[in-house]
Amino acid sequence: MEDIIYIEKEKFHDVALEYRKKGYDFLRSLTGIDWGEDGLGAIYHLENTSTKENIVLKTLTLRREDPHLLSVADIWKGAEFNEREIYDYFGIQFIGHPDMRRLFLREDWVGFPLRKDYDMSLNPLRMSNEETSNDTQFIEVLPDGSVIKHRDLLFDNDEYVINIGPQHPATHGVLRFRVSLEGEIIKKLDVHCGYIHRGIEKMCESLTYPQTLALTDRLDYLGAHQNRHALCMCIEKAMGIEVSERVQYIRTIMDELQRIDSHLLFYSCACMDLGALTAFFYGFRDREKILDIFESTTGGRLIQNYNTIGGVQADIAPDFVSKVKDFIKYLRPTLKEYHDVFTGNVIMQGRTKGVGVLSREDAISFGTTGGTGRASGWACDVRKRHPYAAYDKIQFDEILYTEGDCFARYMVRMKEIEQSLNIIEQLIDNIPEGDIQVKLKPIIKVPEGTYYSAVEGSRGEFGVFLESRGDKHPYRLKFRSTGLPLVSAMNTMCRNAKIADLIAIGATVDYVVPDIDR
Amino acid sequence: MFDFGIITKWIHDWLLSFMPMGLATVIECMLVGIFIILLYLVVAVIMIYMERKVCAAFQCRLGPNRVGPWGTIQLVCDVIKMLTKEIISIRSSDKFLYNLAPFIVILASVMAFSCLPFGRGIEVLDFNVGIFFLMASSSIGVVGVLLAGWGSNNKYSLIGAMRSGAQMISYELSASISLLTIILLTDTMQFSEIVMRQEDTWFIFKGHIPAFIAFVIYLIAGNAEVNRGPFDLPEAESELTAGFHTEYSGMHFGLFYVAEFVNLFIIAGVAATIFLGGWMPLHIAGWENFNAVMDFIPSIVWFFGKTLFVVWLLMWMKWTFPRLRIDQILTLEWKYLIPISMLNLLIMTIVVVFKLHF
Amino acid sequence: MKKKRGYIGSLLFGIKSLLTGFGVTGKEFFKKKVTEEYPDNRDTLQISPRFRGRLTMPDPSKCIACGLCQMNCPNDTISLVTEMITDKETGKNKKVLVSYNYDLGACMFCQLCVNVCPHDAIQFSTEFENAVYDRNHLKLTLNKE
Repeated sequence: MEDIIYIEKEKFHDVALEYRKKGYDFLRSLTGIDWGEDGLGAIYHLENTSTKENIVLKTLTLRREDPHLLSVADIWKGAEFNEREIYDYFGIQFIGHPDMRRLFLREDWVGFPLRKDYDMSLNPLRMSNEETSNDTQFIEVLPDGSVIKHRDLLFDNDEYVINIGPQHPATHGVLRFRVSLEGEIIKKLDVHCGYIHRGIEKMCESLTYPQTLALTDRLDYLGAHQNRHALCMCIEKAMGIEVSERVQYIRTIMDELQRIDSHLLFYSCACMDLGALTAFFYGFRDREKILDIFESTTGGRLIQNYNTIGGVQADIAPDFVSKVKDFIKYLRPTLKEYHDVFTGNVIMQGRTKGVGVLSREDAISFGTTGGTGRASGWACDVRKRHPYAAYDKIQFDEILYTEGDCFARYMVRMKEIEQSLNIIEQLIDNIPEGDIQVKLKPIIKVPEGTYYSAVEGSRGEFGVFLESRGDKHPYRLKFRSTGLPLVSAMNTMCRNAKIADLIAIGATVDYVVPDIDR
Repeated sequence: MFDFGIITKWIHDWLLSFMPMGLATVIECMLVGIFIILLYLVVAVIMIYMERKVCAAFQCRLGPNRVGPWGTIQLVCDVIKMLTKEIISIRSSDKFLYNLAPFIVILASVMAFSCLPFGRGIEVLDFNVGIFFLMASSSIGVVGVLLAGWGSNNKYSLIGAMRSGAQMISYELSASISLLTIILLTDTMQFSEIVMRQEDTWFIFKGHIPAFIAFVIYLIAGNAEVNRGPFDLPEAESELTAGFHTEYSGMHFGLFYVAEFVNLFIIAGVAATIFLGGWMPLHIAGWENFNAVMDFIPSIVWFFGKTLFVVWLLMWMKWTFPRLRIDQILTLEWKYLIPISMLNLLIMTIVVVFKLHF
Repeated sequence: MKKKRGYIGSLLFGIKSLLTGFGVTGKEFFKKKVTEEYPDNRDTLQISPRFRGRLTMPDPSKCIACGLCQMNCPNDTISLVTEMITDKETGKNKKVLVSYNYDLGACMFCQLCVNVCPHDAIQFSTEFENAVYDRNHLKLTLNKE
């Protein structure tokens, strides 16, 4: 249960600005909620990055037709995409937002799907192509209280706009950028999300808590353990369940294995995007070994289904410990090989050093957590900020670089593999005995309240916001996507870079599209 | 060592025995044409198979192994697939240029291909400015690439074509200068003469340091000229999907594809001829018995052996390095390769003037 | 920060880094390859016993047709057809299973059905070759083979 400060919607922008001046510079999560009779609104999770203090703000509007709230996109840049998401889901228009468009759904979508009174039959499966609209709107409120909408163009008619994606080898899935070029130089970039939007948050509202777990593995599929860990932790926190030491240790080891898995894939894909196809295979070859370890314990390679509410699905496989140790022994020298073939390469360094610089201020403002934030010098590791599971019992370094360029982002992840190996080494021999599953009632009901918990996913803070009304279904379940802040920062990073740099930036920022679209 | 000139002379005499000189020449030209095109195809197939196997070995894979023993029939299947695919015509493209482009590319490639001396007596185009002709004809290819990019009316293709225009023309320079370095040593541009002068030692040993530097520069520049990794910017897969040939399908694409691989072979073949002695066996002065053994190996085996070795080197290069960016490509050429090759040319001049070579 | 290299320095650094790369791939060229020759190595293929290939019902008599699996399935993958019969000896009414319908195409392998089954009547098998030519072949009836 969290303390939420309610602020009237007229004053919200001023109050938010005041909090920003007090040092609350990181907008952790922005969640839109439909409280039915009590209005439509948004919940803001803020963090002061220097003192690690957290507060939660809330604002709402009672109008259901044409609801308005004040935008905070000028205070926290990360709010820009999140407010578009809320507009998309709840129809709340944010006054002062520079680019008030839908984010995930089609332009011709009828209604706002996450409202409780939304009628599913309004949107049959459309077989027609969606026309790409070049329009956006900017909403302004006049001193007399009337609201006017200004129509705006995204790109001028004489700009040379090319589509990168949705089907493109370097966007790692179905993400689409519209890029305005001048020769090879990128002048403006517009991100189109939603090609793999599945409405997981909406689906969760009609599923029981154990059922919602299965969907988390399908968000960021390279952080399946971590995502599920976050949701389990959130539900356990809400229900006051204490999981055993053994489970804590196993979850931590699994999270770190998953991180290595994800970073190896990152390495492979970065190599491939930069054109080094051979190094790509080396990364995949070694990732396969982790997947084998996963398979023997969890039964899955990509979708693992391992964490459950109050425990884990099954005890670790008998050969788990020895296999993990062998893998650690194997990976350390192999990492050196990676550095020889790719990191040290003069071409690679030339293509990544000084490219796509993201300053520390921008990183915090956008909320680009994970490797991207740490490459910009922002100590944003949730494992250090708000330790969970067994992370307070172990020694590890938070890798920080200050350059904020592609090379720093790349190196942060490569060094994190080593740190993850250290963490696993510290834990693997000391897994305590204990139950692997807390006994629960057959029907899980979460007490009323709002809860937020976060884990350090493979590519940033993965948060779960849960509002419960005491049912066996969540009232609102929001996943703080790790990828959405990353792509929202793309326009800033890619300005005046070349097309080839866009690929390098995209590769090192390391977004996963199903996690952005949810 | 067997001289293939005997066979050609025999055919020539036989034809002359029952027909006038003019007709015989026409028939011989046609025979040579058919021979070159067939050899071109065979080389293309060998190259594609080799590329797939070699790249697989570098990437800890096995490569094609399902069709035929060691996957050898795979290439035949690929050719059949390519031939039976539909050639899509793009509605808003410039039809004429769009269809013309692959033929210009293949024409340039075949012309350059016919300059290569494959063995003793197998020289199709062999005249006193052979190297000059080869450089000239191979650079026609860039026109085809530009036309493909422009004609297909696709933004990716256009960017790819512009990149290749800048790249191929720049790299022509350092490739030519490094060839010029060796011409200094040989004082001839005729391929058959160049090979004959390497009877005692190959030029890479004869010209020692400057020749070796020229060899390396030629390999780099040659690789860039045929748009292969790490210089495959015009078709940078992860940036421009397929670059200038994005919109081509079926055999139109096949022509680009084949031309790319044979161009690689040509670059390697020229490198083998000029630096490694072409079809000339390895001769070491004084070791008469050794030289005699070497002479037993047919000249054509020598040529293909050396060329495929150079191809393997180039593939090693391609499958090891990441791709360069357009500005880095131009920096490499104009700030590094050209000054170094100019300096190298100067060194070679000194070597030749003072007779410092072996 | 390393200090900036000059012209010659950067050239030498570049050449050295490229040669190191050559070394790694060159060694790899001669190493043993890792390709799994899949259809040929079926016999030696190792699949973890915990792998979730498809749902099976090894012993249909264990099923008491309670319907918990059907209730817990997030995707409506399972549907049970049951009927009431009267036990002749005791005279009590008892629900028995007629057919256990399972749609493999809709299953997301979340394992909730297996977890909840009170008599362990259903379990996942490691059979992974699930490809069929027709979607309808994915609709399985587990209690009748």
